[in-house]
Amino acid sequence: MDILAIIFMTAGLFFLIVAAIGVVRLPDVFSRSHAVSLTDSLGAFLMLVGIALLEGLSINMLKILVVLILLYILNPVIAHATVRAALRSGLKPWQKETP
Amino acid sequence: MATRSRPISSEFLFLKSMALFVFWILFSASFEWIHLGLGLIFSFAVAWLNSGHSPFVPRFRLWLRIFLYLPWLFYEIIRSSLHLSKLILHPALPIDPHLISVESKLRHHAAVVLLGNSITLTPGTITAEVDRNNLIVHAIDKVSGEEVVSKKIESKIADIFKDEEPDL
Amino acid sequence: MTTFLFFVLVLLAILIGVYLYRVLQGPTIFDRVLGLNGISTKAIILLMVIGIYFDRVDMFIDISTGYALLNLVGALAVAKYLEEKGLP
Repeated sequence: MDILAIIFMTAGLFFLIVAAIGVVRLPDVFSRSHAVSLTDSLGAFLMLVGIALLEGLSINMLKILVVLILLYILNPVIAHATVRAALRSGLKPWQKETP
Repeated sequence: MATRSRPISSEFLFLKSMALFVFWILFSASFEWIHLGLGLIFSFAVAWLNSGHSPFVPRFRLWLRIFLYLPWLFYEIIRSSLHLSKLILHPALPIDPHLISVESKLRHHAAVVLLGNSITLTPGTITAEVDRNNLIVHAIDKVSGEEVVSKKIESKIADIFKDEEPDL
Repeated sequence: MTTFLFFVLVLLAILIGVYLYRVLQGPTIFDRVLGLNGISTKAIILLMVIGIYFDRVDMFIDISTGYALLNLVGALAVAKYLEEKGLP
C-alpha cells in the first residue's frame, strides 16, 4: 500500500511542478489559468488519493474524499470567475505574432 | 420579509436539509444527542433561508447517468493534461491561444452548468463567458480547441439529459 | 516513508515560493489573484501532508476544509469586485 501511495504522490508532484513551470513561463493571464487548472484537476487529485491510501480505511479517508469533491466543484468556479473578470474588464488575450 | 420569486417546494426543502445534515454528521463525526439535535436545527434553518433559488431536484436516474459520465470525463482530463504538460515543457513553447464562440443545443440550466464545468475542468480549455447557451471558450492551442468545436462533451451531456423537461 | 514525506513537504514549500513570485511580479491584478488561488490549493495539500507527517490527520483535515471554503468565498469576492470596477 505504501508503494502505491508513493507512486501516486510522485505522479501528483510531477503535475504540480509542471504547473508551477507553466505559471512562470506562459505569457498572459488566460494561458496561466490553464496551468493553474492543470494543478487543480490532476495534481491535487493524485496527491489526495495518495494521502487517502496512506491513511487507510477510516472516517478521515471519507473526509479527504469530501475535500477532493469540494476541490473539483469549487476550482472551476474560481477559474471561471477570474477569467470572466479579466475578459470583461477589457484585457486582450495574448496572440501569437503572425509572420 | 422579502418576496420569494418561486414558491417553496416542501420536497426540495426536505432533500436539501437532509443533504446538509449528512455533511454535518460527516464533519462533526460525533453521535451525541446534543450535536445531532443542533445539526438538525441548523440544517433546516439554512435550507429554509436558502430556499426559493432553484426548484430543480435531480431524479435518481439522472444522478446515476451523471455518475456514469464521470469516468469518461476523468479519462479526458488525463489525456488533455498530458497534452498540456507536453506543451509547457516544450522548449519552444508552441502555444496558440484563441477565443472560440460556441452555441450549444442544450435546453437545461443544469446541463449548461455541467458543460461549462467540464470544459473548465479539462486542462487546455476554460469557459470565459456564459450567456444562456452561448459559451465563449479560451483554448490554449488548436488541438485543445478542436475538442470544444467538435462538441464531444456536449453530445455526451445531451445524452444524459435527453429524458428531462426543458427549462431554458 | 518519513523521508519521502519530508521531501514532499519541502518541495511543496518551494512550489508555493514559485507562485509567490507570480503574485509579487504579476503585470496585472488578475495574475496576482490567480497566483493566490494556486497558493491556496498548494496549502490545502500541504496541510494534509503535514497531518500525515505528524500523525494528526483528524485535526488538519478540518483546517484544510475550512481553508478550501474560505478560499472560494475570498476569490469570488475579489473577482466580482474587479469585474464591477474594471481594469485599474
